[in-house]
Amino acid sequence: MSIRRRDLLKSAVLAPAWLKAGRAASRPKIAAVVTVYRKYSHGQHIADRFLEGYGWNGEHHHPEMDLVSLYVDQHPEGDLTRERAARFPGMRVYPTIAEALTMGSSKLAVDGVLLVGEHGDYPKTPQGQVKYPRKEFFDQIVAVYRDSGKTAPVFNDKHLSWKWQWAREMYDTARAMRFPFMAGSSLPVTWRIPSVEFPDRAHAEEALCVCYGGVDSYDFHGLESIQGMVERRRGGESGVRWLQSYRGDEFWAAHNQGVWSRDLFEAALCRSHTLKPARPGFNDVFPSLDDLRRTVADPVAYHYEHADGLRCTMILLGGALSDFNFAARLSGRKEIFSTQLYLPMPDGRTTLASFFSPLVNHAEQMFLTGKTPSPIERTLLTTGLTAAGVDSVFQSGRKIETPHLAIAYQPTPGSTFWRS
Amino acid sequence: MAEPIRVAVIATVYRYLSHAQHIADRFLVGYPAAGCWHRPNVRIVSLYVDQKPEGDLSERRAKEFGFTVYPNIADALRCGNPKLAVDAILIIGEHGEYPLNDKGQTLYPRFEFFQQCVRVFDDDGRSVPVYNDKHLSYSFQKAKQMVDASRRLGFPLLAGSSLPVTWRLPDVEMPDGAHVEEAVMVGNGGTDAMGFHALEAMQCMLERRAGGETGVRSVETIEGEAVWSGRWSKALFSSALSRSDNPLGATLADGRTQDLTAPGVLPRLVEKPLACFIEYRDGTRATLLMLNGAVRDFTFAAKLRGALRPISTQFLLTPEPNVTYSACLVSKIEEMFVTRRAPYPVERTLLTSGLVEACLDSRIRGYRKIETPHLDIRYQPPLQSQRAQS
Repeated sequence: MSIRRRDLLKSAVLAPAWLKAGRAASRPKIAAVVTVYRKYSHGQHIADRFLEGYGWNGEHHHPEMDLVSLYVDQHPEGDLTRERAARFPGMRVYPTIAEALTMGSSKLAVDGVLLVGEHGDYPKTPQGQVKYPRKEFFDQIVAVYRDSGKTAPVFNDKHLSWKWQWAREMYDTARAMRFPFMAGSSLPVTWRIPSVEFPDRAHAEEALCVCYGGVDSYDFHGLESIQGMVERRRGGESGVRWLQSYRGDEFWAAHNQGVWSRDLFEAALCRSHTLKPARPGFNDVFPSLDDLRRTVADPVAYHYEHADGLRCTMILLGGALSDFNFAARLSGRKEIFSTQLYLPMPDGRTTLASFFSPLVNHAEQMFLTGKTPSPIERTLLTTGLTAAGVDSVFQSGRKIETPHLAIAYQPTPGSTFWRS
Repeated sequence: MAEPIRVAVIATVYRYLSHAQHIADRFLVGYPAAGCWHRPNVRIVSLYVDQKPEGDLSERRAKEFGFTVYPNIADALRCGNPKLAVDAILIIGEHGEYPLNDKGQTLYPRFEFFQQCVRVFDDDGRSVPVYNDKHLSYSFQKAKQMVDASRRLGFPLLAGSSLPVTWRLPDVEMPDGAHVEEAVMVGNGGTDAMGFHALEAMQCMLERRAGGETGVRSVETIEGEAVWSGRWSKALFSSALSRSDNPLGATLADGRTQDLTAPGVLPRLVEKPLACFIEYRDGTRATLLMLNGAVRDFTFAAKLRGALRPISTQFLLTPEPNVTYSACLVSKIEEMFVTRRAPYPVERTLLTSGLVEACLDSRIRGYRKIETPHLDIRYQPPLQSQRAQS
């Protein structure tokens, strides 16, 4: 189902600009379309890496392409747009997305587009989802492609849209127009501690991720953490049948009833580097259930079943820890498979959010080769799971049937997480 | 299950986030290891603490976990018996109020604690494995005596930092028998305390080079503006810095990524740069750079003969308060207690103890190059990599 270069070459309707460009002769031109550009916003993390370079493979790497145009939707206090534009005169700031993509001409003038619709002040849905305008931005990008009669690869940060139907539309549009389209979280591509890959074609019996953050925020990252692993199971991805959320007292009741396995939950906790010490005077002590009930104000789980029967659970355990920890039971293995998907987080732990580096590097590779680094179907599925999770939470834990998430796909043969 | 291993803890202080608390607590409440909460088959039976400042936890721990705080080291080792009554000893002489010497080293009484343990071993005709936290002593001469005593009495001795055993980003090891042309280590913090960690990190890599460790011929420290003359490979320096997740300056101001080696950046950020040039007896050259103000992590790069790109990595120091990297160290200590074999040679820490002192000697003697014939320390690295990887 993934888009291949050979399919692209077959496309007679919309010639992909980046393949015609002649790589040796000219460096690809990239446009960035972002909601905000201020310190530690995703727009800053991603666009800066193209402008300033970043540590990669043991050197300060400068992408072999130029970020030539920028559209910024909001300019709140702390906006860095002007400062960056002044220091990087090769990058122009445009007042509209269309102008950013055409660079003031009448046709598409860039070879790749970064769509970063995270952070900024946007209205919320009744369910509490921030309506980041990713779909709106995407539509404007596609309008330029249509008007120009050519396309360019698109990198979409995080999930596709807060709204499932829109996400599906984005996916369908990219497929119909045959341009490379990648999206998602940095969790599947960041460091792992330990540095291990989900065993190829292992038969997964159950998987979970214990992480932190809020509904319609880090839940997506937790879901991508799981999906980036379990899609490698025997048979590949088969889609998801239903999802049910558990929150507050229902979470603890489900935990006690074994809706998800206690031993997997505990194995995930053992991968954390940030377990909140449950007892004063101790710095690293394993929390009891009572400890967790005291430290976790708002526990949330999304528990869901794949079409092949695999059960997964994404658990938000803010207050008890602040990292992403995965655990799975695999058939024929006594030991639980577990690892931390490590985010060097600038919340005091680091100053750089280096986990954006592998994400940006994958985007760069896509801009250079026209090949997507991982199946977009992963993020289509996790977008749908996030929406279903939010929906279930909003409906007090109702089980949501997800026939629309019958999304089957195969993983990339090689690992894509950060190891070098 | 076998009888638990009885351990005596000899510490300078036991308060929240002191090394004694990090390390000894893990034997009391367990620690994360290989995806489990591991509960060692070890029982702390006695404790000696040299100082009881505000926040002292020793009595509280003794009461909760059923051990005794003794007024002196010999009593802690004998637990009220006429003879040595423990199976292993943790000496944790880090933190607490101790004077500084003229080199700026804190005079932690590790050697003095160790000597008292050895006296009991001698008197009672039995010795047990000892873990000594961090460097052996501020004085190489004393450190040497400690290693000599362990050889004379034949008890396993393990020492050092957690950096050699923590996670690495990326998860790489120095290839066994590599021909190292040059190495650069970047660290931060105080020269005595943190310089040691940086040197241990560097040493655990370099000791794997062809021929194993052969010792250090000379050491030279420079400080201030002179550091920027750059007497080391810029490519290696850049490679080590590219592994940092904690650049300061502009990154702190607006989040941007930075090429710290771009002209003018580091001199603006680092008020008091310090470089130690280390020349090994086999000709290998290494530079330790302490760059307070520019970075807050520990990174390494080395040029290997025949390799196109340097090998480089970050030694990951996981966040407080958990500091799970110390669990990696405790796992090595426990391994020695169980097997009665040190998983890696104490000679590494003997050498790094001597290097810290020599680097500071060079500084105090007007930044002169110092010949170090006493650091003629030869050893072979452990067969297996000791970094955290499971």
